[in-house]
Amino acid sequence: MRCALAVLLAVCTVTLAAQRPAESAQRPDFSGYWELRLDSFRVPRAALTPQSTAAAESQAKKDAEALSRCALIGMPAVMDDRSALDVRHAPTVIGMVAKSPSSARYIYIDGRSHPAADELEPTTNGHSIGRWDGDTLVVDTVGFNDRGVTRIPGGGHRTPASHLVERYRLHEDGQRLSVVFTWEDPSVFQRPHSYEFRYYKVSEISEPRVINCVPNAERTRFLSGVPQ
Amino acid sequence: MRGLKAGHMRSYRVAAIVLGAGIAALFSYVASAQTRETAGTPASRDLSGFWELSFDSRRVPDANLLSAVTRAVRAERAKRDAYAIRWCNLLGMPFVMDSGRPLDIRQGRTAVIIVPENASGPRYLYLDRSTHIGEEIFDPTAYGDSIAHWEGDTLVADTIGFHPDRGITTIPGGGHRSATSHLVERYRLLQGGQVLSVVFTWTDPKVFRTPHTYEFRYYRLPADYEPRTWLPCDPFDDGRGQFLEGPAPRAGAGGK
Amino acid sequence: MSLTCWGVDMAVPRLRVTMLLLLLPTVLVPGTVHAQAPSAPDRHIEGHWVRKDVGGAGNFGGLANQIPPAQLTPEAAAGRGGGPGRAGGPGRGGGQQPSTPNAAGVPYIVVERPCANPGRGNGALLINPDSGGIHIIEHKDEVILAGERGGVRHIYLDARPHPAPGSRVPVNAGHSLGRYEGDALIVDTIGLTPGGVAGGGLRTAETRLRERLEVSPDGKTMTITYTWEDPKIYQKPHTYSYVFDRLPSGSYAFEDWCDAGDPIEKQSIVPPPQKP
Repeated sequence: MRCALAVLLAVCTVTLAAQRPAESAQRPDFSGYWELRLDSFRVPRAALTPQSTAAAESQAKKDAEALSRCALIGMPAVMDDRSALDVRHAPTVIGMVAKSPSSARYIYIDGRSHPAADELEPTTNGHSIGRWDGDTLVVDTVGFNDRGVTRIPGGGHRTPASHLVERYRLHEDGQRLSVVFTWEDPSVFQRPHSYEFRYYKVSEISEPRVINCVPNAERTRFLSGVPQ
Repeated sequence: MRGLKAGHMRSYRVAAIVLGAGIAALFSYVASAQTRETAGTPASRDLSGFWELSFDSRRVPDANLLSAVTRAVRAERAKRDAYAIRWCNLLGMPFVMDSGRPLDIRQGRTAVIIVPENASGPRYLYLDRSTHIGEEIFDPTAYGDSIAHWEGDTLVADTIGFHPDRGITTIPGGGHRSATSHLVERYRLLQGGQVLSVVFTWTDPKVFRTPHTYEFRYYRLPADYEPRTWLPCDPFDDGRGQFLEGPAPRAGAGGK
Repeated sequence: MSLTCWGVDMAVPRLRVTMLLLLLPTVLVPGTVHAQAPSAPDRHIEGHWVRKDVGGAGNFGGLANQIPPAQLTPEAAAGRGGGPGRAGGPGRGGGQQPSTPNAAGVPYIVVERPCANPGRGNGALLINPDSGGIHIIEHKDEVILAGERGGVRHIYLDARPHPAPGSRVPVNAGHSLGRYEGDALIVDTIGLTPGGVAGGGLRTAETRLRERLEVSPDGKTMTITYTWEDPKIYQKPHTYSYVFDRLPSGSYAFEDWCDAGDPIEKQSIVPPPQKP
């Protein structure tokens, strides 16, 4: 009896292990360089709270200061820093590297949950986990801090209370990547704010991928002052 | 050379050598005058190169708009800009100076040409003219008519003759290009030629209360950069059209 | 006392005068050349040019007939359908014509995809210019050749190599490297999209195009000589020339505006009402 159970268990394990590569082989692969062009944006105006509207100018100043200090820019700016995004899709994690000073984004697709709130260290990119909904990767991100560049397309800004859901889907034989961003934050938005980017896959990159950002007085003057 | 003293013979010989050297120098000068004159342009006055805007390249204050530029006017302009993008129109000024891809700027004898990578055609800043084409001749365009001259190490470009409706007319900071717009740009190299500063100043009696000024600082790309020639834009791509004209994205929608 | 200058005894009046007469031109002539430069013929290729109908053909078909037919290999000729193709020229995709005339006020749709034909943008017309002007800017590192009807060619002079075959997506104007022979610009291009060539030729990404751009001694015309080489396509190099007039000083590039969203771009004139 025990032998039969052991054999059954072994067969099941082997079968499941054999299935996993086949299942992942059916999932889209987002790897590549992806860039935004002038026709890549559908960004409606956000419905902001009065508090957020009042804070817009001071937030813009904070963003400019972050840029002048070469601070890590964070989300959502890494998804639109005017250069191609380098996306590498591995079995358990998707890495995204922007050209601007920023940390890499990691979207964990190994089934994990977010860490407990008292264990989660807030970052400019937050903590991201993804799960598949058919051919669409749904990414959930929490754990943001308020550092870096916080402005959100359409209005509003990232705060530690922000919650972001992204939906990634390939189009046109894998040459276009649609990402629908939905932000929720009761201190910023009256209702969830959604916008969509459609990235173009780029076959060749010849411009440098490294920026040498050096904070200095001239840079601060340029980014903070009024042009003459 | 009978009758000449030996010393005089030597003098004539030397004179002949000096003459030969002089003639050689003369021919060399004339030959070099025919070759690329830009080879002799000082580096501080040669804007040529591949230039890109980065995340920290823009300093754009809010424009001081006339009250006539109402929210409805701005909304209408935004709609027209969206139309220009939707139908792959020539983009025009000022958008072409920040269109998302690097610029190829080449300075010749007669003009500076600014070449974007997307579907917009190049700008010409004419160095061989000090006056604009007369308005009775010049058909307004999305780029206008640009003439330029040097003031020390700064290239000052003056542009009028804009078409009020072609392309993307929104100006960074607020306001829009119109038929009465006047743009002055000041181009100057910084940081040993690695950064190109362009200060844009718009005046328009129908749009701005006071001249509106902003600055971009472009970073030089390596000399061996390969531009992408004319990024494709297909106005009859149905998927693209539906994305740009369809309903606004909403939570839970997967970018269909 | 002996006073010598460069070994010449300047105490001798005759020698002084001789030296002065011999050396003076070497000082004056450069200044004269400089002063005379504006009126000397301009043999730079920089400027605005428009194609010249040298034979008075009056139409693109006539111009095309002046191009010697390409000598294709048997394989290339078979692939082309055995006969020469059109020499090329402007054109927009045509729509279907109705079998009966349209009523008054109903336009004929002659273009299905206005402003989006392959010739516009992307440089196709820049290796086969038509009636639109072409504009050339010369810099020591790169020559830009821009067409009024769309597209820009980058001709690199900075000794970079062509990309390795197959490493880049072919584009209509290919990848071009240039060098000067005197005032003439010699251009070498590969990486072209497959397509036709004037005179019934063909091209692929491996086909090599050499061009010579040279201005006439009087500075008024420019000849571009095209030579296509590809042993898989041509029995011998296929060569022909186009001639361009230099536009007057003060000329400027026109804007070729086309709005794909404007219904008028799709249609011909609207039939007027007919009198009984």
